[in-house]
Amino acid sequence: MTSALLAVDLGKRYGRKWALSGCTLDIPTGHVVGLVGPNGAGKTTLLHLAVGLLSPSSGSLMVLDEAPASSAEQLGRIGFVAQDTPVFENLSIATHLQMGAALNPKWDEQLAQQRILELGLDPNQRAGRLSGGQRAQLALTLAIAKRPSLLLLDEPVASLDPLARREFLATLMEVVAEHEVSVILSSHLVADLERVCDYVVVLASARVQVNGEIENLLSTHHRLVGSRRDLDNLPESAHVIEVSHTDRQTTAIVSSADPILDPSWSVEEMTLEDLVLAYMGQAEEQRRVLLRSNGGAK
Amino acid sequence: MTWFAWRQFRSQALVVFGLLVAVAVVFLITGPHFASLFHDLKTCRAKGDCESITSSLTSGQDTYFPFAQAFSLLLPALLGLFWGAPLVARELESGTYRLAWTQGVTRKRWISTKLAVVGAASMLAGGLMSWMLTWWASPIDTVNADRFSSLVFDTSYIAPIGYAAFAFALGVTAGVLWRRTLPAMATTLAFYVAVRVPFFHFIRPHLLTPVRQIRSLKNVGNIGFERTPNGLSFIAGDTNLPNSLNFSSSVVGDHGGEVTRQWLRDHCRSMLQQVPPNPGKGVKVTTGIRPEAFTECVDKITAAFHQVLLYQPANRFWTFQWIETAIFLVLAVLLGGLTYWWVRRRIA
Repeated sequence: MTSALLAVDLGKRYGRKWALSGCTLDIPTGHVVGLVGPNGAGKTTLLHLAVGLLSPSSGSLMVLDEAPASSAEQLGRIGFVAQDTPVFENLSIATHLQMGAALNPKWDEQLAQQRILELGLDPNQRAGRLSGGQRAQLALTLAIAKRPSLLLLDEPVASLDPLARREFLATLMEVVAEHEVSVILSSHLVADLERVCDYVVVLASARVQVNGEIENLLSTHHRLVGSRRDLDNLPESAHVIEVSHTDRQTTAIVSSADPILDPSWSVEEMTLEDLVLAYMGQAEEQRRVLLRSNGGAK
Repeated sequence: MTWFAWRQFRSQALVVFGLLVAVAVVFLITGPHFASLFHDLKTCRAKGDCESITSSLTSGQDTYFPFAQAFSLLLPALLGLFWGAPLVARELESGTYRLAWTQGVTRKRWISTKLAVVGAASMLAGGLMSWMLTWWASPIDTVNADRFSSLVFDTSYIAPIGYAAFAFALGVTAGVLWRRTLPAMATTLAFYVAVRVPFFHFIRPHLLTPVRQIRSLKNVGNIGFERTPNGLSFIAGDTNLPNSLNFSSSVVGDHGGEVTRQWLRDHCRSMLQQVPPNPGKGVKVTTGIRPEAFTECVDKITAAFHQVLLYQPANRFWTFQWIETAIFLVLAVLLGGLTYWWVRRRIA
């Protein structure tokens, strides 16, 4: 079984600060993976490690069973769209396609040409004069025409207006449907991911908080609402992610493989957004506790 | 990758090679004129009157030469600044490295191809400019007979190829270390000057042990005396060593020592007596001295003293060119190696 991305205790440090640490992930191929987390959580770091722009400070990482950027062939199997979709400003769209053809062994010229045509772009136009949405589409075209097995996209829609954003994601879904390609895309907005992803990785405070198929995660996470109390009588497998009390009521978000049978809880379904926010909140809480205990030690 | 390295570099290349074409046009227009003057000079030597031809040659030199030499002198630095410094720095600065390094080409191959393509173009540009200048200036260089002077040595023949390679590699390295074009350009210029100037002043003259030659003062032209506040002192000026690099010429006695004033008082009394005490400004030193007394004194000096010369002879010119070119090429290769390693291992 091939893993799209297999990380074991992966970490990246800049100076004394860890941008990513203790990251252990095994993402199977065949998914559209949403990599979600607040700004500065380590999403870009993880993607740059995956495409070989960065090398790890600790741990190991395999992408499609090979070390990132270990060979031209390996690089050819990964399509990467970097944050803010960089292109060569002085070169025309046509030259960008020529570059793709010259540098990528599996380049699909027909696909590239056709996409530029469909987008209504003039091949002779300089890339520096494209709008943000057009530039993102060009960057996506370059990545797709490589005919990669894995597409990595770093906040591809963050800087786009809602319409361009929808078009971009629609294109992406077409590609996933047509060619058997795994996708990992990062965003700090859950709404972007909800539409397209079937697998999610929540990164916060430089660590992976939770990951798995969205369907599984939603079926094993519950929001419990009941009269105010301590959280006991929960099944063995349950973990409390978040808990809040008002004078009369207690609300908790728990993960549990077993169903919650205690009738005194009313069990509500969760959305992906609820789940992501709960885990981000947990990470933030842990960070505060850590800061406080460090402060106390001084 | 070679095609893409060239494609990204094309517009920068066109600017420099366009400039070189412009220089070539100027050279082609003015060159034959210098060559014919030089030809006239060779034939006139038989007849005698060469003054007007020499003066038109040197006035031509005054008009065009400073520009041509300055351009040839500056060209390597310009290549380092505008070809070298942005080569990697601009990719890092604009973020396009994320596009370039994630194509189906390893970073190893990306950087080595870029270094090879633009490095070769730098050497070609430096070599072309030097070759054109060498051809264009050959009549005047022959008349001036001073090939070791920095304006000839550093701008002509093969050394500029080494300088161009070095400046380019320096620019790339600075760009890779700074990751930003502008500071990299400033650093390139500073380091280039900081290497070239001391090299020319302190290292080049001593690359080979200079020749020490002792010769009779009889062969030396331009012998005479110079008035100093303390009386006359002897001078022997002309070394008569065309195209050589001269360090010193001194007049040394058979048993050591210079021509001192005491020695002159002891041996050239008759001449000294004829020197007017206060000749006033603008009056020749030899005014009032009878030729016989002058000749007698010079003969006595010639008999007791020799001229000692320390110099790099003209026939070592090409050895020096090769050594210097090789040194700068080696520096360029070392810097290129550092860049290669840094891009592969240290960036991002």
